[in-house]
Amino acid sequence: MDTQYIRNFSIIAHIDHGKSTLADRMLEITGTITAREAQEQLLDDMDLERERGITIKASAVTMNYEYEGHAYMLNLIDTPGHVDFHYEVSRALAACEGALLVVDATQGVQAQTVANAYLAVENGAELMGVINKVDLPAAQPDVVGDEIEHVLGVKKSECLLISAKTGKGVKEVLDSICALMPAPKDLSNEPVEALIFDSHFDEYRGVICYVRVFSGKLKLKQKIRLMGSGRTYLITEIGKFCPKMKPAGELGTGEVGYVIANIRQLGDVTIGDTITDDAAPAEHALEKYKPPLQMVFSDFYPGSNTDYPKLRAAFDKLALNDASFSFVPQNSPALGFGFRCGFLGLLHMEIIQERLERENDINVVQTAPSVSYEVVMRDGKVIRIDSPSQLPDRTYIEELREPFVKLEIITGTDSIGGIMKLAEERRCKLIKTDYLGPTRVIMEYKSPLAEIVYDFYDLLKSISHGYATMDYEFLAFEKSSLVKIDILINGNPVDALSLIVHRDNAEPRGRKLIVKLRKTIPRHQFEIPLQVAIGGKIIARETIKAFRKDVTAKLYGGDVTRKMKVLKKQKEGKKRMKNIGNVQIPQEAFMSILDTSD
Amino acid sequence: MSRIKKAQAGNTATLSQSGINSMTIKEDNISGLYVHIPFCTSKCAYCNFYSEPVSAHDTYRLLQAMRRELSLADTSAVRTVYIGGGSPSCLPAAQLAEFMKTITDKCHDITEFTVECNPCQAAPRMLENLRELGVNRLSIGAQSFNDDELNLLGRIHNSESVRTAVYQARQAGFENISLDLIFAICGSTQATWQASLEQAIALNPEHISAYSLTLEASTPLAQEIEQGKYTAVDELTDRAMYEQAIETLTKAGYEHYEISNFAKSGFECRHNMGCWQNRPYIGIGPSASSSSGTRRTRNFSDIKTYIKAIESDQSPIGETVKISDMDRICETAVLNLRTKNGIDVKKFKQVTGNDPCLLFAEPVRTHCEQGLLKIENDRIYLTAKALPIADYVLCDFAAL
Repeated sequence: MDTQYIRNFSIIAHIDHGKSTLADRMLEITGTITAREAQEQLLDDMDLERERGITIKASAVTMNYEYEGHAYMLNLIDTPGHVDFHYEVSRALAACEGALLVVDATQGVQAQTVANAYLAVENGAELMGVINKVDLPAAQPDVVGDEIEHVLGVKKSECLLISAKTGKGVKEVLDSICALMPAPKDLSNEPVEALIFDSHFDEYRGVICYVRVFSGKLKLKQKIRLMGSGRTYLITEIGKFCPKMKPAGELGTGEVGYVIANIRQLGDVTIGDTITDDAAPAEHALEKYKPPLQMVFSDFYPGSNTDYPKLRAAFDKLALNDASFSFVPQNSPALGFGFRCGFLGLLHMEIIQERLERENDINVVQTAPSVSYEVVMRDGKVIRIDSPSQLPDRTYIEELREPFVKLEIITGTDSIGGIMKLAEERRCKLIKTDYLGPTRVIMEYKSPLAEIVYDFYDLLKSISHGYATMDYEFLAFEKSSLVKIDILINGNPVDALSLIVHRDNAEPRGRKLIVKLRKTIPRHQFEIPLQVAIGGKIIARETIKAFRKDVTAKLYGGDVTRKMKVLKKQKEGKKRMKNIGNVQIPQEAFMSILDTSD
Repeated sequence: MSRIKKAQAGNTATLSQSGINSMTIKEDNISGLYVHIPFCTSKCAYCNFYSEPVSAHDTYRLLQAMRRELSLADTSAVRTVYIGGGSPSCLPAAQLAEFMKTITDKCHDITEFTVECNPCQAAPRMLENLRELGVNRLSIGAQSFNDDELNLLGRIHNSESVRTAVYQARQAGFENISLDLIFAICGSTQATWQASLEQAIALNPEHISAYSLTLEASTPLAQEIEQGKYTAVDELTDRAMYEQAIETLTKAGYEHYEISNFAKSGFECRHNMGCWQNRPYIGIGPSASSSSGTRRTRNFSDIKTYIKAIESDQSPIGETVKISDMDRICETAVLNLRTKNGIDVKKFKQVTGNDPCLLFAEPVRTHCEQGLLKIENDRIYLTAKALPIADYVLCDFAAL
């Protein structure tokens, strides 16, 4: 197809600002799906995504549209909207020439919208402003237009006013895409170069690569080479998403679609790799992606040690469909054999955890998430650790570095004070404040990742009554005055409860922590001392009193069924605990250590 | 009519669950008969058993229905009978007598026949009648010898009536008397409990049950505690009282043969031992439950519904729970462990086809290590240390 009639674009929007609804309307108007087929939020195909109202994996769809007498091919490449999935957003944007920037007329610009809009600009995509939900009584398209112009540099006068729900203005959006968005460059005579911007694993067909062809063309039965890995494959199927996969003979320059080439494992394909022809390869690969940065780590242990192989199989399965999740075997002196898992962020972690439990029947004990640290050793070597238990002995350490991020918060002016207080408590340094309009402000902080990784977002939401949004981006590892807090339960140090914190907070944090543990660890038949040690020195102690009585007085014929149920439940409760020494520690205890509330 | 047919002995079933011996489960050929009389003169503040005021119902009509239910049950294996409630003693004497005659006519090899009796209903005439009808064990609901405590529990008798009742029962010829006692009643102390224990012992009953007060949600007493009218006895005192009962009663010559039960040698309650051995039982009357080994059923609780079902030739069963082989094995282990003899390894193997030491290897090991279980002479049993926290141990036997 002539590239001048092809448009490749993404939709950037905050959660609930109407991205999926807009996509559905476009699919209907272009006849890609009938209204009857229009399943709500067609693009989000995992249950979990639909439940949480977020899009996790990028996906794509090809639409045919006639504008001014010409047949256009519009390729919509979906992007995830959440802070954890920056990487997936950027690779989706790299496949596009333009992006629709959708902002809710009642909510205004949000932090993730800003972050993703910047990403689009970095990737060279043209922004097109769309103000959605203008039909709502609370809509303030004028104010929101000002914000878009002010923060994102998209002219207010050029923003389209639409209601994706009613369909108002959606046709104009399609027209504008054809009229104003840049077409792909016509490089059809060059050697083939196609960007893999996503992939997913199909049980029957192996890996399905989502590709955007930048030059030349890909054909069925072509022998291709992945330029990054050097591996070669034969294309067994090629086609477009309409929105279901529909085979085609080839994909030409500027087109978006899928390639199946007998690739067995998701790990064999690197997102961002370039596909070229094995016989007539391109000289240079397209610009490489940075691998996704895993920022949050957590240990998963099977409730019972015999479940270890089951847990391993479950992780293998999860990794098949999610290349940004990693796991390595880990042996904890306290908790036994398990896995250290790396995630893009907290939401990513929660999603994996939920899928693990939903799709597999395993009781899992999970440790509190932590970030990775850089340790500069006395001998000058720099090592990266992602768990407090990996921290070498103090005597070998020259310097400790922790990850810092650029944190952007957008909020109403009335919650600035509360947010500043929170930020200060969390060692965040204010870089600048910028007004988006008379009542909204964007605050930029430099923040230690460890301080915002756990409950910061929830607190932010509660301080701002749900209005504030945030986004963060990794900056660098920097020197920090950090110490390790160790917890001893019944005299035994429990590595999985160790925590690396800033020296100034260490003592109060440690004291609070064992109070929390005292409340979460159930009473046993003996007294359990809980101790906090910093740098080998015990600084605080709490005691869990022994329980004294736990017996059913009467148990006769008629009560047996009911009583057995109660006992089974009691046993289930025990299962979600981990035995350390002779103390049973419930799952909540491992998570409670990061809870800094009183 | 066969659908009202009751528990059947000689049950066989095979295990399909992997890792578990799929030997045939054999059944002891003995069962118990429980008769529930759902009437009370007045309801006690702590009780959540099903009962209604006796005055409000046609007791004769209910007993007729129960006789019919009984007549259809296969009672050939019944060796023990227990009439409880409610208060069986609140029924008109003639009606009770007629009903009991139905039982003795139908069951010929009764070795133990217990009737529960409210202390203030132990009239000499009625007690003599019971003796004549073959009742050989009387269970008297003494609860406490402290009148304030009795009052708080909403009991209609006082400590004096307990003494009188025991005296009358002896006069009537009862040689096997049991007293029920309750401890950890709000406001009680170790001293008042000791006094109750000693007064109970002074009456020289053959059997004593000592229960810690269980606060069942939705009972008036539980609500009064919730509202702050009374304060529940703290856990530490509750435990001390339990240990005090064990010590005092053991010293007085009673053997502590189940968590809450004490008896002079040879006077253990056979009917209840059947339950703790997980043997089948037949329940007759509203809300009574039956167990065949493979299923447990419960009759309608509502008296009118129950009567109506039977009178119209329908089954009075309101609820049926299937007991899988796995459940049954676990139940047996849990119930056995409540008794002094614990799990008899050989017998358990013989009955369930599985070695409890292998089947429950993990909980047996951990609890033995912690000194809560002991294996000795082919028996697995709770140690003295484990008794006050028995559920903490038993729950690990409740499922595999």
